[in-house]
Amino acid sequence: MAFFATLKAAVNIATSQSYDIDWREPKVKEAAIVHWEEVKAAADPALPLAGLRLTAEQKSKLDELLKGESVFPDQPTDELLDGMPDAIPSASLNRICGSIIDNCLNNHNHAVVAASDDVAIQRASLVVVPAFSRYLRSVASLHDAEPVWSAPLDTVCIHVQRGELIYVGVVSREVAALEVLELLEGVQQALGEYIGHVTELTLKENFATVYQLLSEMVDSGSAVTTDTAVLRGLVPVPSLVDRVIENVAGIGMRAERRPAVNTSSTPWRAPGIRHTNNEIFVDVVERIDATVEAGGAVAAYDVSGDISCNARLTGMPDLLLAVNRADAMDDVAFHPCVRAARWDAERVIAFVPPDGQFKLASFHVAADPAASPLLPLRLHAATSRLPDQSHAIEISADAGHTAGRPVEKIHVRVPLPANAYNIRVQCKAGSHTVSNVRLPQVEWSLKALRPTERGARLTIHYLLRAPSASEPPLSAGNELGAQAAFVDFEVAGYSISSLKVESLKLLRESYKIFKGVRYVTKAGSFQLRF
Amino acid sequence: MNATIQTNFARLQIMKSKVLAALRKGENYELKTELNSEYKERRKEAVRRVIANMTVGKDVSGLFTDVLKNMHTDDLEIKKLIYLYLINYAKTQPDLVILAINTFVKDAEDTNPLIRALAIRTMGCLHVVEVLDHLCDPLRKCLKDPNPYVRKTAVMCVAKVYDLNPAVADENGFVGAVREALSDANPMVVSNAVSALTEINEMTPGRDVWRLDSSTVPVLLTAINECIEWGQIAILEALASYTPQGEKEAESICERLLPRLQHANGSVVLTTVRLLIQYEKFVRRADLLTQFAKKMVPPLITLLSSEPEIQYVALRNINIILQHHPKLLSKEIRVFFCKYNDPIYVKYEKLDVLVRICSERNTDPLLNELKEYAREVDVDFVRRAIQAIGRLAIRYESAADKAVKVLVELLQLKVNSVVQDVVIVLRDVFRRYPQTFADVVPTLCEHIDYVNEPDAKAALIWILGEYSEHISNIGNLLSVCLEGFLEEEDEDVQLALVSSVVKFFLKSPQQGQALVLKTLKTATEKCANPDVRDRAYIYWRLLSANPNAARAVALAEKPPVEIENANLPPSLLEELISELGNVSSVLQQPAKLFVYKKADKAGVPRDSDLGARYGDGFDGADGGAATSTSDNGAMGGIGAGNEGEPELLISF
Repeated sequence: MAFFATLKAAVNIATSQSYDIDWREPKVKEAAIVHWEEVKAAADPALPLAGLRLTAEQKSKLDELLKGESVFPDQPTDELLDGMPDAIPSASLNRICGSIIDNCLNNHNHAVVAASDDVAIQRASLVVVPAFSRYLRSVASLHDAEPVWSAPLDTVCIHVQRGELIYVGVVSREVAALEVLELLEGVQQALGEYIGHVTELTLKENFATVYQLLSEMVDSGSAVTTDTAVLRGLVPVPSLVDRVIENVAGIGMRAERRPAVNTSSTPWRAPGIRHTNNEIFVDVVERIDATVEAGGAVAAYDVSGDISCNARLTGMPDLLLAVNRADAMDDVAFHPCVRAARWDAERVIAFVPPDGQFKLASFHVAADPAASPLLPLRLHAATSRLPDQSHAIEISADAGHTAGRPVEKIHVRVPLPANAYNIRVQCKAGSHTVSNVRLPQVEWSLKALRPTERGARLTIHYLLRAPSASEPPLSAGNELGAQAAFVDFEVAGYSISSLKVESLKLLRESYKIFKGVRYVTKAGSFQLRF
Repeated sequence: MNATIQTNFARLQIMKSKVLAALRKGENYELKTELNSEYKERRKEAVRRVIANMTVGKDVSGLFTDVLKNMHTDDLEIKKLIYLYLINYAKTQPDLVILAINTFVKDAEDTNPLIRALAIRTMGCLHVVEVLDHLCDPLRKCLKDPNPYVRKTAVMCVAKVYDLNPAVADENGFVGAVREALSDANPMVVSNAVSALTEINEMTPGRDVWRLDSSTVPVLLTAINECIEWGQIAILEALASYTPQGEKEAESICERLLPRLQHANGSVVLTTVRLLIQYEKFVRRADLLTQFAKKMVPPLITLLSSEPEIQYVALRNINIILQHHPKLLSKEIRVFFCKYNDPIYVKYEKLDVLVRICSERNTDPLLNELKEYAREVDVDFVRRAIQAIGRLAIRYESAADKAVKVLVELLQLKVNSVVQDVVIVLRDVFRRYPQTFADVVPTLCEHIDYVNEPDAKAALIWILGEYSEHISNIGNLLSVCLEGFLEEEDEDVQLALVSSVVKFFLKSPQQGQALVLKTLKTATEKCANPDVRDRAYIYWRLLSANPNAARAVALAEKPPVEIENANLPPSLLEELISELGNVSSVLQQPAKLFVYKKADKAGVPRDSDLGARYGDGFDGADGGAATSTSDNGAMGGIGAGNEGEPELLISF
């Protein structure tokens, strides 16, 4: 029983916060039994307390406090659990809380943004999130951590990894898993839009904005909105200019820019927008996902695309966009501004656009099983084993179906096995780099490849180190050498599906608009097998 | 003892507060001054800093009254931040929150709808009983507010009031007002009303406060077209609890749901698929059922070109859907081919789907693909790929030739771990097609030196026994195996060797006589394992008593191998189909194993319940148990190197 008192004092010191744990709560009691190791760890002054980071000063105070206390028993005894002290005056955990917890994940520092529904939140910071962090550390590579993980205390952690951050939703009831994932995705995009590059540091610098955003996006565990056009109306985007104005002139200057709620029938477009130049730019981006065999045969092929717009138009413009091959667009998903019924009946995209940048539609290009897949870049690979035991890879790239346009920004990344050494690269065209951060890899960049030009070639030689007797035997991939290359490229002004915007008409408003349409075909997930 | 502990604890508490005071006084003191500054801008910056400190876990509760002084402001940002502060500390300091009530009530009547909504929402979030009395009047007004943004916020607030005190929510007619909101002109209000009612239903297990009826369903189906994605999800989930009143109704609901399949939000798509599958059993028209199935395929495929996390959830669900609708995706096999850089959890699921949907027609491309996977780095994935080759060979006789060819090619890579797995799979294939692939056996024997894991050894020795007549140097090979017999730790290998030597002897008595005697003698006299000894005795007696009987036993025709059944048990499958897209279908275990039950919070659960729940949930074969053991290992390993940069946790 004394241990619990110590533990509580310890946790309190560590958090400098009224994070008292009510041991009488049956759930906490259960948790103590199930997670005895962690509870013990939390009471051990030698370890970071309950996952909390201490300053040296705090630590020495704590050591002093804990001096002379008995060691925690290895097993929870009935006496211990029954004799838990009466609750010390304090409240349960906070509904909205934040704490810094000390963890490093596979030596890569990741910040965790956690969202929870009401019940889970109370326990999230106690056991769930630290346990989740430990799970992330226990997997061989962060990349391979399962997105839906059954966490302690009847909760489930659902996470996405974006950039340097891990966004995790802690749920305690049956919910649609994709709803949580899409929400986290939305949170991450909104944060990006508001604070630019999202890192642990920028998050900390913008806590005030982050909090306002989160409270608009999530209300007691359910998603409210993730549309940044709507959010901009509710939470002002912080900018350097604002800060300067505030500091110089005080708050008064900003009063007229007070956020207003738009409840019209077009929530994505506020009334009264004015622009001096009325213009709209349409981008048709198509991505090719493909797996190409060493000999050039195509094992898997798939094309998907987006139509994005950047609209700067005055008033309430009503636009009508027609494409030449509407039937080639399969499984189309539209922005909420598009009238789906018009599309179903007439195959035209009718919409009142939001102001600024937005994604009008995303689609999948219906595959014609009879036709052979079109590739703007033709790739071949040959691997061989030389008499001196070194491995050789030769990759060749030629321009393919591009309607005469050059293939640009070609980038080929070849990951090599961890035991590769003595890596030598030759290429006549373009530039190459050899890096060895986590795993050795070769990167090859080519500015452009014209259809009239001769193809480019890259040759890599390397040796594989045999494992020493103490190491586990090699897996197939490590013994056989590199298996695949990842390829990036783009062809400007070209649509692989030959989709064209035929017309874009303005209705309802009478001014002239400037229209621009751009096409680009890119590599999506494009891999070349050896 | 108690007294000592109490004193001890009191001492600790005092020391703690002293330490805290020393640590914290500096900054909070400064903030206090700033919060009371005469300059607006400095006060604003101070509020921002208070919130930032709160987020990183510093105690700023001492500044409560100072923060509160700034609450009356026309700056919306400050107002919001102070409201957040209040929500954070409402539970610890309910008495002080009352001081803020007047501002809340006043804000709830503000001319700006944003402020009215903010006040109502915050009062609900405070979750303090003391606030309830002051909340009822403003809430009643806001439920009838002319502005839909305010109404939709008020509707959600009712669920919070209900959670705090159901009686108050009933007496004030709030629940009735939310029911009326279902026919509101604004779709956002409708969808929030649906969410609120669903939430209230969840709070009252066994008693439905609200039940969807056939008159409300068309209203919701109309509203859904106008809703934003999250509203659509709320309505779709509510529809999942509805049982159609007949075939006609089910048909019309399904037809009106079809457009939802074309949505950029994966959750809208998957929840719609779930509803279509759920309602299908009420529809009898074959043309409609075909149409539904056809429409479901493209959106499911599109989910597979999303981020890996979304792919994973989609794949877990596709795996369940396919057990219900085996033919649904059989034409789409190439979509499920693994990318080299897919996360391992995506690869495993794709592999499962591939084997599931592979038909006799497309075994060829799939076998080529599996051969590629068997060359990858991850040993476990390679093993699964090789096993998949075996499963295809066993399932489709027409694919067996090609599969064995692929397996032999893999064998010739001479990669240690691959050889082990191939040998085990080949044994199963050989059993399925006895004597068909005898010509492969010599090639297999060339790789005998690479076989070194017990399971693979046992498999190889079994093959040697079965095909002894096809191997020229069989006697030598078995003798070599016998040399290591006593050092062999695995009894399966020993048993296999005894059996194989006996088979060899029965097939070619002259060549095998010396070897069989030596083997049986070693096994019976020197082997420490009683099972192996007993087996050897039985063979010996059989052979000496009646060689024909021995032949009948040892060379008897074996029962055909069974394809392992990877399907879920039917009752679980049915449950998961009804929860398609939800967490339980991703974890593939019933919700009761992981869902926190609100009822537990009120009453103390019986110990036996807890035991049973944890027995299933944590110690069972699910992720929880597995990770808790590995966790300890990880902790031990990490302990020393735990000096990384702090991890940041923001909860909301």
